[in-house]
Amino acid sequence: MKYQVVIAGIGGQGAVFLVKVLSIAAGLKDQKCLGTENHGMSQRGGSVSCYVKVGDFHSPAIDQGQADLLIALEGNEGLRNIQYLKKGEGTIIVNADSKFPDIEYETIKIDAFAKARKKEFPIQALNVYMLGITLARDPHFPFSVNEIEEAITQMNAKMAPKNIEVLHQAIEDARDI
Amino acid sequence: MKDILMGNDAIALALIHANVDMISGYPGTPSSEIIGNFQKFKNKFKVEAYSEWATNEKVGFEVAYAGAIAGRTTCATMKQVGLNVASDALMSASYIGLKGAMLMIAADDPGFHSSQTEQDSRSFAKFAKIPVLDPATPQEAYDMVKLGLEISHKFETVTMLRPVMRVCHAREICEVDDKLEFNPAKGEFQREISRWAAVPPAGRFRQGLEQFERLEAIKEYNWTELIAPRVKTLKGAKTLCLTSGTGDGYVKEALEEMKLEADVLKFDMPYPLPKEKIEALFENYEKVIVFEEPYPCIEEQLSSPKLHGKLTNDVHKIDEFTKDKVLMAFSNAGLIEKNEFYKSEKYADELPVRPPNLCPGCPHRDVYYAIMKVFKKKKSIYPSDIGCYTLALNQGAIDTVLCMGASVSMASGFSVADPSKTVVASIGDSTFMHSGVSPLLNAVYQNHKFILVILDNSTTAMTGRQKTPERENPNKIDIKKVVEGCGAECYEYDYTPNVDKTIEFMKEIKAKYAEATGPVVAIVREFCVLDKERAPEKLPHVFAEVDQDKCVACDICTTQYKCPPMSYNEDHKIEIDPFLCIGCAACLDDVCPTDAFVEVKK
Repeated sequence: MKYQVVIAGIGGQGAVFLVKVLSIAAGLKDQKCLGTENHGMSQRGGSVSCYVKVGDFHSPAIDQGQADLLIALEGNEGLRNIQYLKKGEGTIIVNADSKFPDIEYETIKIDAFAKARKKEFPIQALNVYMLGITLARDPHFPFSVNEIEEAITQMNAKMAPKNIEVLHQAIEDARDI
Repeated sequence: MKDILMGNDAIALALIHANVDMISGYPGTPSSEIIGNFQKFKNKFKVEAYSEWATNEKVGFEVAYAGAIAGRTTCATMKQVGLNVASDALMSASYIGLKGAMLMIAADDPGFHSSQTEQDSRSFAKFAKIPVLDPATPQEAYDMVKLGLEISHKFETVTMLRPVMRVCHAREICEVDDKLEFNPAKGEFQREISRWAAVPPAGRFRQGLEQFERLEAIKEYNWTELIAPRVKTLKGAKTLCLTSGTGDGYVKEALEEMKLEADVLKFDMPYPLPKEKIEALFENYEKVIVFEEPYPCIEEQLSSPKLHGKLTNDVHKIDEFTKDKVLMAFSNAGLIEKNEFYKSEKYADELPVRPPNLCPGCPHRDVYYAIMKVFKKKKSIYPSDIGCYTLALNQGAIDTVLCMGASVSMASGFSVADPSKTVVASIGDSTFMHSGVSPLLNAVYQNHKFILVILDNSTTAMTGRQKTPERENPNKIDIKKVVEGCGAECYEYDYTPNVDKTIEFMKEIKAKYAEATGPVVAIVREFCVLDKERAPEKLPHVFAEVDQDKCVACDICTTQYKCPPMSYNEDHKIEIDPFLCIGCAACLDDVCPTDAFVEVKK
């Protein structure tokens, strides 16, 4: 199996958390996994893009036109990284409102900020929420709900119940997209 | 056993597994997590080991080096530009050698992600004549920590590990030792004056000759232990790719995915290389391409008309590797047609830029805002330094950034060169302790008249909030006393999130400066908003919103104050993003000329 994910967002939105969760999930499936994260300067509210490569890879970075999935925690950051998606095959799961433009990639769009403003879930769990949308709507996503739940639990057992609740809420919400 | 590790976790774990019981360093992205993780593993495994944050990289190196002279297994960590600071010690240590073992970790940053240069520490190792190992992944970093310490002990030399950002901050499922048997070497200094205090010229001349002999022996080791086993696996293609570190992964993936025929020979130790033995291999190939980043360290050690690389303009010379650049090199070397498989169109319309910024509620923002209000741009020069506060560039409050501590010495230089302007320099507390003290002493010594603002948030914030000297030892170290000890006038301000008060303080400093004959130092006692110990009690948790009728879209808040939650909405009025606002209330005071920022009523 080979599956490449770009996670785009703004420093502080928890993109690195998702890298960790997906690496743990890969480990649970006994798959190889290489990822890369942003630390330091790029964390200070600036644009952040992290990579996760599941399967037999040698390098942690992702080239243009190679990603199977782009999880965008914010709309413009999604567009800024759109060139990393595979033409004709890649899916973008994006947190954006109705103004998000039509693009030539399979787009799953949800206005997670609006839901957080309505206090439907805490904004700190935006990353987990978007992972839930991914689980529900990316048919090629290589992990099951159980594997992601287990990975979230291994990551932080204390926070896991709340995170898993948000995950399931997102899976529910994804039905209405 | 298998473990999911970030590169810097893998390095720290390997240090413990390799019996390192003395470690010192100064934080710097991408190296910073190594010492923090070492401390974490040390506590987890309950082993006795000494670990410290030194005041700078030179100090850290010397502490670890003395440990190795005394027979211990030690480590010093730094980022690549930190190596510049430690280089004075390294250059001599390379002549002298050691008894125990010492791994010096210099983490590089191809692509300038968090650094002011793209310098290659492997090339520095070559300059210093010490062996260097270049890992491609966290797993290799784990393995090479152990190998590096073995080499260091065997050849009695400081050995460098050079991971790049894409190794330090990569994450991989690694195979690591199941069991920990921690048996550190005993520290016992043995007097050997002719070695540890070799006097030039005779003593150092002799050590210089020994250094050459040592290098020849390491080259032989490199060949028999590391290179020759890999030569056996070469398949006899027409093209040979020589790789080192991350360059290897990009090449292997590109060859596999594009189904290109080429042999790949990876050098784990890119210096010192057994030149003749490697060049003899070229006979069987039509072309040889070197893939390494960022400098041509391997390429400069070899010579052949078959060789393609950065020096022949076939491989990119600046920025990080990509697989696209591998194909470009193949095409430049005449092996394939131009290939754009790894290219795809960016989003065509312009997207709002999102540069890194000071956090919402960061006290630095208020201090720079006050400096700009009180010391007008046309009549001032603002040298600054390396840290979070460098981001005040966004506020237009910084004119120069050079290297650690340079704000102070450059303030001296500007005060001499352009005395018609007021020089207002700024530096963080950690950077001041790192390399700001000696230029301040010089300024007093030479009577240079300028203002130095020390932004004291009592943490090394940018690199992950490591403890600073004053924080670690508050009853003994006081920046104010250090400044006064240098002989400079010093004024202290206890920051509160009230812009009016901060401006008042800067006005007082301006008055003091008018009468001064030497440097005037202002210490602003701040806090970092990410500091879980201090920030909660310092922040008032009073949130702001915008009175839309009062906002006249004057741009002052978005250009001079620049707090991330503030942006224009569809009606072209400022709005505050409630998800980002941290409740510092600072903007309620002096920022808006029409008082449009108002408190959110609960």
